Amino acid sequence: MTDQPTTGNPAPPAQTPQTPKTTRPTILASGSLMTWRGVDLITAAMLAVAFGVMFWGFDTFIYPILSTATAGFPPAGELMLGVWLIPAVVGALVIRRPGAALFTELVAANVELFLGNKWGVAVLLSGVLQGLGVELALALFRHRRFGVVVAVLGGVLAAVFEIVFYEWYSYVADYSMAWKAIYLACGMVSGAAIAGVGGWALVRGLARTGALNAFPPGQEIRESHPV
Amino acid sequence: MSLTRSEPPLAGAPVEVRDGALVEAHGGALVEVRDLTWRPFGRREPVLSGVSLRIEPGSRVLLAGPSGAGKSTLLRALAGVLTTTESGDFSGSVLIDGAPPAGSSVGLMMQDPDDALVAGRAGRDVAFGPESFGMPRDEIWSRVRTALASVGFPYDEDRPTNALSGGETQRLALAGVLALTPRLVLLDEPTSMLDPSSAAIVREAITSAVRASGATLVMVEHELSAVVRGVDRLVVLDPDGRVSADGPVGATLETSSELLVAQGVWVPGVPAPRPLEVDRALCAPAATRSAGVSVSPGDQVLVSAESVSVTRQPRASVMSAKRHLPAVQALVDVCATVSAGECVAVVGPSGAGKSTLTALMAGVDTPTLGQVRAGAALLAGSGTDVPEVIHGWTSRALAARFGWVPQQAEHVVVARTVREDVLSTSRLLGLDDEAMQARVDGLLKVLGLSALAGADPHHLSGGEMRRLALAGAIAHGPSVLVLDEPSVGQDRLTWSAVAGVVVAARDAGVGVVLATHDPLLIALADRLITLSAGRVVDPEAGPSPSPRASALSTVGAATSQGGRWAGLAGRSGPLSVLLASVVLIFGAAFISDLRTALIAVGIQIALAPVVLGVGRPPWFRLLPGLFAVLSVGFSNWLLSPGHELSTGVLAGLRVAFFVLPGVMLAARIDPSTLGDHLGQRLRLPARPVVAAVAALHRFESLGEQWDQLVRIRRVRGLGPGRSPRARGHHLAALTFGLLIQTLRQAGRMAVAMEARGFSAAATATVTAPVGAPARRRTWAESARWLLADSLMLALGLAVAGIPLLLSRF
Repeated sequence: MTDQPTTGNPAPPAQTPQTPKTTRPTILASGSLMTWRGVDLITAAMLAVAFGVMFWGFDTFIYPILSTATAGFPPAGELMLGVWLIPAVVGALVIRRPGAALFTELVAANVELFLGNKWGVAVLLSGVLQGLGVELALALFRHRRFGVVVAVLGGVLAAVFEIVFYEWYSYVADYSMAWKAIYLACGMVSGAAIAGVGGWALVRGLARTGALNAFPPGQEIRESHPV
Repeated sequence: MSLTRSEPPLAGAPVEVRDGALVEAHGGALVEVRDLTWRPFGRREPVLSGVSLRIEPGSRVLLAGPSGAGKSTLLRALAGVLTTTESGDFSGSVLIDGAPPAGSSVGLMMQDPDDALVAGRAGRDVAFGPESFGMPRDEIWSRVRTALASVGFPYDEDRPTNALSGGETQRLALAGVLALTPRLVLLDEPTSMLDPSSAAIVREAITSAVRASGATLVMVEHELSAVVRGVDRLVVLDPDGRVSADGPVGATLETSSELLVAQGVWVPGVPAPRPLEVDRALCAPAATRSAGVSVSPGDQVLVSAESVSVTRQPRASVMSAKRHLPAVQALVDVCATVSAGECVAVVGPSGAGKSTLTALMAGVDTPTLGQVRAGAALLAGSGTDVPEVIHGWTSRALAARFGWVPQQAEHVVVARTVREDVLSTSRLLGLDDEAMQARVDGLLKVLGLSALAGADPHHLSGGEMRRLALAGAIAHGPSVLVLDEPSVGQDRLTWSAVAGVVVAARDAGVGVVLATHDPLLIALADRLITLSAGRVVDPEAGPSPSPRASALSTVGAATSQGGRWAGLAGRSGPLSVLLASVVLIFGAAFISDLRTALIAVGIQIALAPVVLGVGRPPWFRLLPGLFAVLSVGFSNWLLSPGHELSTGVLAGLRVAFFVLPGVMLAARIDPSTLGDHLGQRLRLPARPVVAAVAALHRFESLGEQWDQLVRIRRVRGLGPGRSPRARGHHLAALTFGLLIQTLRQAGRMAVAMEARGFSAAATATVTAPVGAPARRRTWAESARWLLADSLMLALGLAVAGIPLLLSRF
């Protein structure tokens, strides 16, 4: 709590002068990227819990139906994986600081853990792997790009981390190699479409409503239309 | 609404508190604001412009002005939390005792008591501030006790915070502010969300506690009459964020009363506003407009609730180690009706069941016992496909006849612009568009929303959002209009508009049901239904029993383990339980043959009573895990190279090895305690841990918000059809709505938490609070590693090692 209200955003960085005017400048998180504001932490945690509420509904009412429908071809069930990866992508795109994806996904996994879920404590391991997948995608762009490409890459990497480092050894350990590959492909498609494109669209929609004004995506919208 | 005045102790004198200890009154701060201007990014005009104020130590200042004048913004500036959720251009200076606002010298209390809650138990919640400033444990608890006593908190420190009424929660929030012994106390409409009797108690607590401490007080309140006697100075902000009047309360009120009334401020001594004259045609029911409905004049009952009772079973809880929460009896054997052309007000104290009854009358909730029926007048002309019992109705049938504005009116956003939002239900019902558009424009004009017709509804203020919800509820011409606290947050001018719509609807033949605390609205009603503790009472029958205690009477107590052996897990802390479960995941990777799998799982089953205690296994918890085991077994059999049965069994057992113990052990972990252990034993950074625990406490309230969104969409005719696409769209809209609410709430929580020092330990420029040096966050409760924890972890490691061991032989 200082009395120096910082102008939240330094000059938009990483913009070359040739950048066409149609693209909005990317706004980064204020201050040092590693120094989280209180509102960053609380918002990431609250988003995670809200996703937890939805997961609870999904796990209880929708997933049983869908998983029965895909029982004849189990890898198709992996087409739903992306739903669980959304918190990581949304957390990362909203907060725009290293660790945001991991923190959001891990708190969301905790909600599932405490409510009771079918995988037990393993959801925490999944949460860590999924969060790290998205973190890697953002790190590859040096935390300077938060568009749909990064979101899709994040969703894909989250799926890859989850499946290759965990599910291949646990849930599908005895699949033939070909089926493991199909299973992975299904997860990647889901991660790209549901978590990547879906998460990105969600953040954009939220920013338009003014609900993200305290965060870079909301500031980008505001800068383009002051009221 | 009279304030009981107690004789204030002399400022600066020692003050005796309830438990006998003597505390120094810490006195008040000098506040100096010089030429403060603040323009948030994205706005053209500043919210505050050139504000200068000098507030002497110990004085009590009331800050008034029309909505949007920047009152809350000024309070946030004084608290040093202006930039918590906003960034912008700041000029001028704010000095508290000659220094920038920082540390524990300033306390801020917000409008909605729920925004301040951070913990599951009262004492721990009050401890948040002292913890943030790194005070030693003894001091934390002595401050907690003193603060709770000073606000007259009626329960002990272990009281669960989700079992408090609004007024009690607000007193708890006040205690949380006072625990830091601030020299400047800032209150932002602290009683606006409370019913009159709770509000009076909270005001009394504020007056006595702040006087006892001698702190300087700055309070924002739009209902001036309730608070003018507790303050000695009035500062008025005009709509441009400038100080337009400043001086002693009496004199300032006299000189600026006329101006304040013109701006819509509720000023004491000025006659109550009258409902606006609204054209009845704007509010007439569609049924009578379209066709002359022939209903016998004697049978005008639209809706009747017949002996309805509602018992609420709380949704699965994240926070309680015993996850069976007791059911709550919200309504007991209530009969109520509303007829065409009458206005019924449902009144009673908070928690009496007003919202529950009105939701039933609006057809959006289902009674546990009894029925809510539609009368002949409501069913007339609707054909035979609509049943008499309302809760079986389709979304469309409901929308055609009902309009409902819930208490949390900010949830009611169903379209991209204000105008589209108000039109949406009419469009879904296929009503004549041209006439409808004229009607909608008329309603927007009456409710003062014309200028905002093209705006995104999400950008409206709270009061505007409530009027939008009212417009959306009446525009399509329902026969029944149900409004839950429609006048909250309205100024004198908009109050007239809201009351005008209510009166016009009634006169046009709509049956209106209001749940309200507002005496002016109650005076407009034709009939009252008085509720107390979920039952209808005769208002003439004298004082009702204490509402909260019996309204929350529990049905079926929580299941208790009694004195039975709760297992090693019952004696261990959360960390060892968690670690023991996690190591099993890694152990499972070494299960590579059926013999190993069978032995390993067999040993686990044998150990289960030792670890988990004796008793019937909770199948409802295990069922999803067992299903997971079966599905993994099946798919591995199906997709393995050899299609052998043993492969499937092996895969299933491998998953069972870590999933089933993990499911059972997770049920024993209490998230708050886990947070304490993660922070103290593993030394994880305190802020993320504290933020996560505070957020987890919101699980239930977010779940309720979800339910509310579902109800609103249903009554607006937006309930999902049967097609998967419609359902998907419905879910997406709900998700979006919930996330918006979540983000808003997170912002308010962040302000409340920062004002209590959430980031104090992380910020370098913290000034040391009274009696404690600035340093790392401390924890009010210890997190010891016990012998049972070592045993638990050792057992986990031993069991996890079984597969590795067996694979060697």
